Amino acid sequence: MISAFAPGDWSQGIPPRPANPASGRRYAPDSVSTPMRPSALVLALVLAAGCTPGVQVLDAPDAPPSTEPAFEPLTADELAAVEDTEFRVPVLYRTLDNGLKVVLSEDDSAPTAVVAVYYNIGFRIEPRDRTGFAHLFEHLMFEGSENLGDNAFDDLVQRNGGVLNGSTRFDFTNYYEIVPANAVETVLWAEADRMRGLDITQADLENQRGVVSNEVRVNVINQPYGGFPWLDLPQAANENWYNAHNFYGELSDLEAATLDDAQAFFDAYYAPNNAAVVVVGDIDPDQTLAWIERYFGGIPAADVPPTPDLSEPPQTEEKRVTKVDSLAQRPALAFAYHMPPRNTTAYFAMGLLTEILVNGDDSRLHQALVSDAGLTAGISGGINWPLGNMFNYNGPMLWSSWLVHDASTEPDSILALIDREIERIQREGVSPEDLARAQVKLRSGFYDTVGGTFGLGRADLLASFALFDDDPARINRVLDRFEGITPGLIRRTAQRVLTPENRTVITLEAAGGGT
Amino acid sequence: MLRLSLAALALLVAAPLAAQTFPSTPPPPGDPVSFDIPEGRTFTLDNGIAVTLVPYGALPKADVLAVVRVGNVDEGPGQTSLADLTIPLLTEGTESLSGEAVAEAAASMGGSISSGAGLDQSRIGGRVLSEFVPDFVRLTAEVLQRPTFDADAFERTRRDVLRGAAVSRSQPGSVALAALRRALYGDHPYASVILPDPDPIGAASLDDVRAFYDAHVGPARTRLYVVGRFDEAATEAAIREAFGDWSAPARAADPAPPEASPIGRRVVLIDQPGAAQSQVSVAIPSVDPSEAEQYVELQVTNALLGGSFGSRITRNIREDKGYTYSPFSSVSARFRNAYWAETAAVVTEATVPAIAEILYEIDSLATTPPSAEELEGIQNYLAGTFVLQNSSAGGIASFLAFLDLHGLGRDYLEDYVERVYAVTPADVQRVARDVIRGDDALIVVVGDREIIGEPLEAFGLVTLETFE
Repeated sequence: MISAFAPGDWSQGIPPRPANPASGRRYAPDSVSTPMRPSALVLALVLAAGCTPGVQVLDAPDAPPSTEPAFEPLTADELAAVEDTEFRVPVLYRTLDNGLKVVLSEDDSAPTAVVAVYYNIGFRIEPRDRTGFAHLFEHLMFEGSENLGDNAFDDLVQRNGGVLNGSTRFDFTNYYEIVPANAVETVLWAEADRMRGLDITQADLENQRGVVSNEVRVNVINQPYGGFPWLDLPQAANENWYNAHNFYGELSDLEAATLDDAQAFFDAYYAPNNAAVVVVGDIDPDQTLAWIERYFGGIPAADVPPTPDLSEPPQTEEKRVTKVDSLAQRPALAFAYHMPPRNTTAYFAMGLLTEILVNGDDSRLHQALVSDAGLTAGISGGINWPLGNMFNYNGPMLWSSWLVHDASTEPDSILALIDREIERIQREGVSPEDLARAQVKLRSGFYDTVGGTFGLGRADLLASFALFDDDPARINRVLDRFEGITPGLIRRTAQRVLTPENRTVITLEAAGGGT
Repeated sequence: MLRLSLAALALLVAAPLAAQTFPSTPPPPGDPVSFDIPEGRTFTLDNGIAVTLVPYGALPKADVLAVVRVGNVDEGPGQTSLADLTIPLLTEGTESLSGEAVAEAAASMGGSISSGAGLDQSRIGGRVLSEFVPDFVRLTAEVLQRPTFDADAFERTRRDVLRGAAVSRSQPGSVALAALRRALYGDHPYASVILPDPDPIGAASLDDVRAFYDAHVGPARTRLYVVGRFDEAATEAAIREAFGDWSAPARAADPAPPEASPIGRRVVLIDQPGAAQSQVSVAIPSVDPSEAEQYVELQVTNALLGGSFGSRITRNIREDKGYTYSPFSSVSARFRNAYWAETAAVVTEATVPAIAEILYEIDSLATTPPSAEELEGIQNYLAGTFVLQNSSAGGIASFLAFLDLHGLGRDYLEDYVERVYAVTPADVQRVARDVIRGDDALIVVVGDREIIGEPLEAFGLVTLETFE
């Protein structure tokens, strides 16, 4: 789902946001009666990783033998009070005989549910002469299957009071429905019907090529800062074609796509043993599991092609690229560093460095560039940003950031301020107070992700941990990994990762007039 | 419903090895589950601040929101964007905290504090971890009641507003919105704030900002909402302590809502040479939320016509014709004022056909009522998305603020779903004919005049406008 910066009643001089994630085809329901359109429905699972504050846990010596009577067990109320402070996500995880991963997570806050189907195929491994194909294919998944004709999928969901969308990211393509809880079986059936096989025509393909071409026009070509920096940075920073091509696709490649391409792509990647089905919400997990077995259980597994070599060679010197934007009225600056591998200590430290450097008005770069120097209205960034968060990818990744500035400000002077802040961390590390604050922010942001978009944020984490780690219950443990990060680790990670040699800088020249 | 459930049960019994027999029709939904938005508790402080506390959800977080009835609507002539220069400054320093200290305090509670002006309301607050809610209430009170209006922060905010204005000028969507609003509201702030004139922003002083704050921000115009997981007693105590002593002069009178111009079909064109797409809006003034029953009728009609993915216009110009990626219609509501608009970015060559199809769909709905089946699908959709909108702490807080702005009681919330289902096919036809009135609609286009200028005359008088 793309939500280009949409002006509305609340657009009051806020800086432009980059077009959201590559993909998606539906828009959110217009908020018929609330003052704000629920752009929250937009899949903006902006980074959030959390952590409990830095509590010192010491090894306690053995207690001396006691003559006191045994403690009374806690009452139900006392137990509830204890559990109140420890938020845990219920996780039921099963793998069906055909390899389909199933994750169920109950939440009865409201009578709604999210059904999400994640396929382990993202845009970075689409065919070489078919850039943009993974995303185009996502659109085709709405064009018909054996028992659902043209528009029937949309109709079914909407008639049942739900909304739906799909999106394509680095390492997965997802399809989801957010529905009243009583419609879960209905949409599970529909998702199973299209996992069983597509039934699309040349006309459907041509129509969706048109829709996707329009999507690219509205979000990239006819949009100031279109594709900046989320399409540009991977192309500039990466060497391996898989990580470095145009993920939205060249219009000529989109035009060349055929029905045979679509069938081959479906046969290779849209198999139960390459997918996860996640249901979150006001559900009966046993009943839901029975439905999933019933509708998905009979779909045969397939030989899924091995993942190609996605590795990136180490970068040895800084890359600088210039982009001319004929619509933008103010220049912009984007920069990115190659991330350390997922789930390493340095990776978790980078999650905290994101909090320290760019998340929130208290962050170092916000204070230096926005509050002190007044060079920009805001700076944003993070891991897998803005397409996702630090958990929902599986391969080489960038830590990215960008800002819009005045024409009178030299990009190098901004970079100098950024380097000054980074070098300060490399030299001095961070104080225990600053680290503790970063950990609180991370934990709080993680909860926002878990609760985001009516449960879709939770489904996204569970699906990612199931597909990439075969362990969705990580959702309840991952915060612990940030607790062990020390000021020394933060400093060493900054020294190793946030270096000019590991960096790519894109300066955007505004050729759209204005001041 | 009973019959449907039995049918589903029969299927299950008949097919124990279910996987072998995939049904060719979707299993019907189960019985609907009712949703009562938690009522919470509302009380009023002696100085007039109404407070609503709503315990909700499972996440250990809560939203704290102060809504002040001040916004761009309160800007006088020559004061364009003064609300945007004033309200964001609240968090930039107080009598006891620097701007940086405010940001750090909020961050250490797991959140951030923001203050932004809207057209009718300003919102100050944020979302923090449960254990910090009382602290965050105190921080919100501090920035609201004791801002110091730092000179450096003011200059920075001015630059930010100018930058934002410049960026908006490069966005076809903003330009189209500005043109639409200007055609409806003339030089009223509802229009002028979209692409604000840089001159008054450059001329504004810190004294202007202070005067604007003094005139408009005070307890009589403020409401508080706390929604989520939090300690109610501690939160109430913090609110009473931090907001109870706030005193300020009696509120100024509410500004009069603008009279939206009667339209009559015409076209406003803003030239964007070489544009790959045209930004199109078709708009008409409409009933506003304070007329609850008619407003709900309009919402149902809107969802069926263009305001949902399966709606007629979307299906026509996106799915069938492929002219556009993201068309949608909506009712844009402000205090005692609203309009309906369909908006789409269409490929340049399809500009005229797309507008023709939009007008065709309005006309066809005005001529023939929808089938009961089509309407029922839309009603289910609105009922379902209504629950979604109110199924998060932030959504509930926003909705309560919406009710309060428009003077709607809690019954609006409770009766909403029932009202949606009470709308008949004849009602929808009447609304399309008498409210949306395609023949009177204003058409705004931002696009390449050389290609589309002349053909647009098919729809009425074309006025060429510019924004400087």
